[in-house]
Amino acid sequence: MKELRESRSHKRTARPRAPTNVLREGLRLERVPDPSIFVLFGSTGDLAHRKVLPAMYQLWRTNLLPHEFILLAIGRRDLDDVSYRADVRVSLEQHSRVLPLDEAAWSTFSERIRYQRLDFADAAGFDVLATRLDEIDEDCGTRGNRIYYLATQPGQFAEIVAQLGRVGLDHERHDGGWRRIVIEKPFGHDLDSAKRLNREVAKVFRESQVYRIDHYLGKETVRNLLVFRFGNGIFEPLWNRRYVDHVQITVAESIGIENRGAFYEATGASRDVLQNHLLQLVSLVAMEPPATFDADALRDEKVKVLRAIGTTPADPERQVVRGQYGPGWVAGTAVPGYRQEPDVDPGSETETFVAARLVIDDWRWAGVPFYVRTGKRMPKRATEIAIRFREVPHRLFRDAGADPDPNLLAIRIQPDEGIMLRFGAKVPGLGLDVRSVTMDFTYGSAFSVDSPDAYETLILDALQGDASLFTRADEVEEAWGIVDPIIDAWAADDPAAFPDYDAGTWGPPDADQLLVREGRRWRRI
Amino acid sequence: MATDLRPGPSVSEPVLRWSARVHSIAEIEAQLARIWAKQDLTAEVEGEPGRYIAARTSVMNLVVIASRPEIGERAATTVQALTGRHPSRTIVVQSADPDGPSWIDARIEAHCVLPRADAPETCAETIYLAAGGEAGRHLAAIVTPLIIHDLPVTVWWPGEPSFRSPAARDLLAGADRLVVDGSSWSGDGLARLRAMASLHDATGLAIRDFALVRQSRWREAIASVFDDPDFLPYLRSIRRIAVTYASHDETGAPGSTNLVKPVYHVAWIASRLGLAVHRPLTPVGTPTASKAKVHHPAPGRQVVGRGLHATLSDGRGDVGVVVRPLISPMPGGTTLRVELLAERRGSELRADVTAEAESVHVRVWQDGVEALDRPFLAARRTDLELLGEILESGLRDPVADGTLRSAAALVGEDHA
Repeated sequence: MKELRESRSHKRTARPRAPTNVLREGLRLERVPDPSIFVLFGSTGDLAHRKVLPAMYQLWRTNLLPHEFILLAIGRRDLDDVSYRADVRVSLEQHSRVLPLDEAAWSTFSERIRYQRLDFADAAGFDVLATRLDEIDEDCGTRGNRIYYLATQPGQFAEIVAQLGRVGLDHERHDGGWRRIVIEKPFGHDLDSAKRLNREVAKVFRESQVYRIDHYLGKETVRNLLVFRFGNGIFEPLWNRRYVDHVQITVAESIGIENRGAFYEATGASRDVLQNHLLQLVSLVAMEPPATFDADALRDEKVKVLRAIGTTPADPERQVVRGQYGPGWVAGTAVPGYRQEPDVDPGSETETFVAARLVIDDWRWAGVPFYVRTGKRMPKRATEIAIRFREVPHRLFRDAGADPDPNLLAIRIQPDEGIMLRFGAKVPGLGLDVRSVTMDFTYGSAFSVDSPDAYETLILDALQGDASLFTRADEVEEAWGIVDPIIDAWAADDPAAFPDYDAGTWGPPDADQLLVREGRRWRRI
Repeated sequence: MATDLRPGPSVSEPVLRWSARVHSIAEIEAQLARIWAKQDLTAEVEGEPGRYIAARTSVMNLVVIASRPEIGERAATTVQALTGRHPSRTIVVQSADPDGPSWIDARIEAHCVLPRADAPETCAETIYLAAGGEAGRHLAAIVTPLIIHDLPVTVWWPGEPSFRSPAARDLLAGADRLVVDGSSWSGDGLARLRAMASLHDATGLAIRDFALVRQSRWREAIASVFDDPDFLPYLRSIRRIAVTYASHDETGAPGSTNLVKPVYHVAWIASRLGLAVHRPLTPVGTPTASKAKVHHPAPGRQVVGRGLHATLSDGRGDVGVVVRPLISPMPGGTTLRVELLAERRGSELRADVTAEAESVHVRVWQDGVEALDRPFLAARRTDLELLGEILESGLRDPVADGTLRSAAALVGEDHA
């Protein structure tokens, strides 16, 4: 039967292979993106200028984009190609990760930038856009391949998608012209809105055309997590409840809300970081090995983790801690409390810190708590995953001076991307003192090649049609399914006694209690 | 005698922290142990005790075979600049005065570097080892005891490696990787290239040639021609490959200019496309394939000014190859131009790739009409960058191995 299944399977999948450029074997990219138009909605906004455009320039400068490539910037402001290019130049001079700008690269890159004024509510404007895209295809050899990048306010996503669908800009052509859409986070405000948005997007685009971007997944160390787990023989056998005591994941920011009071008031730490970055990191740490390294196999396994995370609506006060910073000192500077920030309600209930104890109800992780925390105005900027292993079953060296701490594997995502392993070693001398030592791997000092920015990685992946590092609709909904009950429970609760932690500290005391009552403590970062 | 410690280093700038001179293997081993056993390794910074020196760090053994002291010094300087990223025990060996009495002279140094301002120092040893007489004829016996076991061994052989000598055989027997620079070899370099390919075939030793690694910007540019879906079908229909290289020899005599780099271009394309060598490189003007077997002139003996030609085959037809000199102020053997001609169903695609210091330029014509004109910004890389890339790459590189094998086939038996 098995042979028969395999034989049928082979017949189904045996298709003539498309010719490949064998000269690319062993080069930086074994496949370069197809000729295409990168249609950037929200092109005059902060995200576009700080992240997307510098990433595009860097990809162009390093010859990773095709020759037939056009960046069509869409915005409401009254600009033209020339004036928009001038704006791009100014922002690149501020935000490009390689400065000074390479004049030759800028010259050829800027020639590929076009600007189209468009009000997203203006249906006729989208007809004009469709015509312009066809003209660019005709003039520049971009072959009908288009990627729509939504770097706009989240409230405009559905409207833009609907308009694109109305004028047929989603239709992929039989002769190979593909259409893809990249949607920035936040994807929805809660589970209902995420489902609604997914439905609106699905009316126009197939799921395989949709790339929901979470820039954390493009970071080098996050990608390396997969290599670390599944490319090494020695760690995976230990990666389970038998050997792991608990996992801590910290996403700490030293900055406040940076003049985004209105946005943050409606968002808070749970929606801003827990629902996406933190749960993505949890799923990458906890997932089973995928059968293959393709996008859906990878995302299938991540979704299984999210489904297995036990929600805690019945007991959120014991499993989840929220907090809000008051005035304090960060990096030697006095900073205001959250309620004193511009555009923030002086009586705001919005959380700027959240910590949670998550449990993953599956065979591998049953009984292993995953402690996650994120906050604004922490003492330092640091993102880290720490795997704390169990103590040895029999402590031979308990009397030998300080007993060594249990083994710990820390994966630093930012800053100083790298991996640290802690183990016990004998102190030199006649006695038998034992202490903990570390082996430390730092990306910056081990490789001479600079890591690409996360946006460069993800934009290149989207242009190549690789969705592995993008979030699928069901992932988004499962993540909201975890966060929604927490937010609902808070809403039903009494007003929080905010502020409850000083800026420049590691969050409210209750966050420590989350671990202390189980005989653990947060790792000092 | 050992020197005292010096003040702490600046970021990324290697500083000599220890130096000793000895004359036997036992003394070398004793000195190596002493460097790191010394208890007080605090450096003085502005007169005050400063940073604690981290323990010795090594991720590999690097053996540099130097024919002359200055080659060894130059190579060691490059290696020390990489200490922050690739700390290695470096052993620079030089054989001298083979007919005299047996002697060993070794200088042991410890260099430290701060990879970052907030990082601990990374220190590594360099052993400059000269041996004469019988000892100089058995360098492997001197080097082997100094290798840190369980760490990979890379042999860097700048200058003119003698792949077939017993000494080389012994030295390379314990190596995991050999690094050479074929573009620096004397003459046309082709006999040595073939010998290197034989060594690879016989031992499986991973071989990396600066000359080939340096060409990656060319390969990116040439490959980019066929990224265009319209041009990709022509890739399997290439009918002619021409490589123009710089020469300073007005006569264009074979053997007067190093040809390793031009040959690598052809070999890379041939290996990627699976092209077999139907007729190896011979001077232009020699008879065709069948006659060549009878009248083949010895390379290097005949003065022919129009370069070399060869014939490859893809099973469906022949692919003509021309490697031709052009008088140029560029260093001899530098690739000036790579041209490809492909013919498919009555249509013709011509690609022309040229390079300058900071860029490579690609032009493509389809049936005589210009279809692509693209500059690639890609600067020439230094030896330091090339060595860093080689050390960071894995031992297995099918593209490099395939290129070397094709290059040997192109060179042919005459260069054996």
